[in-house]
Amino acid sequence: MRRKRFSRREVLAGVGAGLAAAVVPGCSGGDGGRSGALQVWGGVPAASGPADVVKAFQAKFPQYKVNYTRFVNDDRGNLKLDTALQGGVDIDVYFTYSQGAMALRAGSGLAADLTDRVKADPELQVFLDTEQPRSYIDNGKVKALATAREPFFVLFNEKLRQQAGVELPQSWTIDEFRATAKKLTTDKTVGTYTLPDVARIALGPNYWYDGNRSNFGDPHFEQGFRVGREMIAQGTAFPWTEVLSRHLDAYQQNSFLGEEFHLWSTAPFNLRYLYDAKKYPHDFKVAFAPSPTVDGQNWNGGSFSNFIMVNPKSPKFEAAWAFVKFWLTEGATPMLKGGKMPALGNVTDEQIVSGMLGKEPEKYFDLDSFRRVVLASDPKLATDTRLTGFPEISLAMKQQRDLCWLGEKDPGVAIREVRRLADAAIARNERRP
Amino acid sequence: MATATVVAAGTKARTERGSGIRPSGWIGFLFIAPNLLGVIAFTLIPLISVVVLAFTDWNLVSGLGGITFNGLDNFVAIARDPGFWHAIGLTLVYVVVSVPLTVVLGLALGIALNRPLPGRAVLRAIFFLPYIVNVVAIGMTWLMLMNPKAGLVNQVLDAFGLQPGWFASSHWALPALIVMAVWGGVGYCSLIYLSALQDAPQQLYEAADIDGASAWSKFRVITWPSLLPTTIFLLVTLIIGASQGFGLIALITAGGPGDATTTISYYMYQTGFQFYRFGYASAIGLVTFVGVLVLTLLTWRAQRGRALND
Repeated sequence: MRRKRFSRREVLAGVGAGLAAAVVPGCSGGDGGRSGALQVWGGVPAASGPADVVKAFQAKFPQYKVNYTRFVNDDRGNLKLDTALQGGVDIDVYFTYSQGAMALRAGSGLAADLTDRVKADPELQVFLDTEQPRSYIDNGKVKALATAREPFFVLFNEKLRQQAGVELPQSWTIDEFRATAKKLTTDKTVGTYTLPDVARIALGPNYWYDGNRSNFGDPHFEQGFRVGREMIAQGTAFPWTEVLSRHLDAYQQNSFLGEEFHLWSTAPFNLRYLYDAKKYPHDFKVAFAPSPTVDGQNWNGGSFSNFIMVNPKSPKFEAAWAFVKFWLTEGATPMLKGGKMPALGNVTDEQIVSGMLGKEPEKYFDLDSFRRVVLASDPKLATDTRLTGFPEISLAMKQQRDLCWLGEKDPGVAIREVRRLADAAIARNERRP
Repeated sequence: MATATVVAAGTKARTERGSGIRPSGWIGFLFIAPNLLGVIAFTLIPLISVVVLAFTDWNLVSGLGGITFNGLDNFVAIARDPGFWHAIGLTLVYVVVSVPLTVVLGLALGIALNRPLPGRAVLRAIFFLPYIVNVVAIGMTWLMLMNPKAGLVNQVLDAFGLQPGWFASSHWALPALIVMAVWGGVGYCSLIYLSALQDAPQQLYEAADIDGASAWSKFRVITWPSLLPTTIFLLVTLIIGASQGFGLIALITAGGPGDATTTISYYMYQTGFQFYRFGYASAIGLVTFVGVLVLTLLTWRAQRGRALND
């Protein structure tokens, strides 16, 4: 019996074909592999609100089916989303949380132009505001719409505040914040985790930039580094050695609930830890104070955020826009439980209280101060729209702040190094095509 | 007929020389195909891509259409980039300190475990354990042990008046990583040395005993030369591994404090995955690859003719 022999060429061709068969399906481009359902990618776990938004949307628009996919909002998760968008994976609507990623996506053709839709809708006119922007506008085109507003405030541990006999401030300066932290410092509890961003409060949005250079020559940056370092040295702010060696930046809530520090400058997304008595048991209420002012300026450290965007390659643009508009105008209420206050403010105060503060709000929160600071006030949110070299500058700020607050580098030297690195990053990025 | 026989014989000869592949060979290819496909898809193609991308300016998000060839610009920029040279310096310190320490301690441990000790098998397993434990578990454990305030290491060092800041100090973070690398690699080295020691030629030791050679003389003249190929193997693999060190840095220090632990692998990661400068990151990768290759070849050359059996 004759047996067929294969030439090297035939075997290599076979291997090549096998490889192509294995690899090509993973690189589907164009509309290949698109499903009938609207594909939405976001960083919030489905159970923390998005699943309920999707359910409400499908109830109102039964003609549309929506699949929500969660990506982890870190470097790797964002890279996964970027490669998926670029590789033609079936994504119609997606969320962007970091400003660095925003600039790249909007500037690289990964965001549909929503300008006409926004202009045509009376409910959405606020997204055209450029004074306190709630959208990302790239060369005059609206590319992303904020779904959440995240004002910063200062939380007080009520039990410790009353023990120390400190009055709950209704307005205060950064110096008064510092003095309060000192009064609240005891043998067991440090006065504050850290101080609010002095330069942000004084300078507002786009505070890193001045024309075609960086703005780190502004004295408020050095002031922030210097005051933070002095407070750490005095023991009124949390020791930075502990912050770094325990990776506390990502777990501040544990130390606040463990009463390791008192004042906590934070945003609504951290409130969910404060009413979850099972996972985070504690025996004190928290009260709310506004962010302190700096030199009479009162920009809030928070911003409009959680930007929703439409993939320009989506063949389901009408459905995608219907979903985006639903989320913005009527669907975002379920997101309150994750601490996401709707950007349009189209929810009642009672919905916010019951949504953001859990089932027993009186047990864990001082509601009067919550209503005064979070509901009644209208803080000036600073949303950055200038983003040249944003990731490089963020890293330079973090690195030099760490060295300064560890006591290894003088604040002036550290901020000058930030300035040098930021100027280089801006120049390099503006040279790129 | 004679011509046909000659042709057939020629064909057979060609086939036997390997111009075609027998069905049995084809089946062999089938067996290795899954692995081969993996190597091609996940090693060969990325490797070639890195070489191509090293000559481009590309941010990934702009897609293949956004690739701009920029000639040697990336390499010129690397030569002028203080961040790159700082990372190279840190990597060299990390390699030059951690690799010899690991090898020397591994050799000492291997020799110790080669002697008849009670519970020797258990001890071998214990010393090898760090090599197989998950890197996250190792990182978290050392993070607690080296906490400057409450960690066990500083509680012991306190008796000697020492209080290093470890991961919360730009002076101590790299030494802390070196300690972890040495701890993680010593068991592996000792096991490799152990197998080499058991292969050492016993007749030479017997001859040396008859000649009245001292223990040091036997080590210098017999043991060390017989272990030289093993040592070179360990040096080469450890140098390559240490110059690629990434996991613990990403997990524990993220390159900090400041840029105190931004070794070349982490710098490449930052450049590519945080700044989205994939062309520049690829160029860094290519330069590093060439550097490690040269270092490896030099190490390899250094041992030629020195091993006992050469």
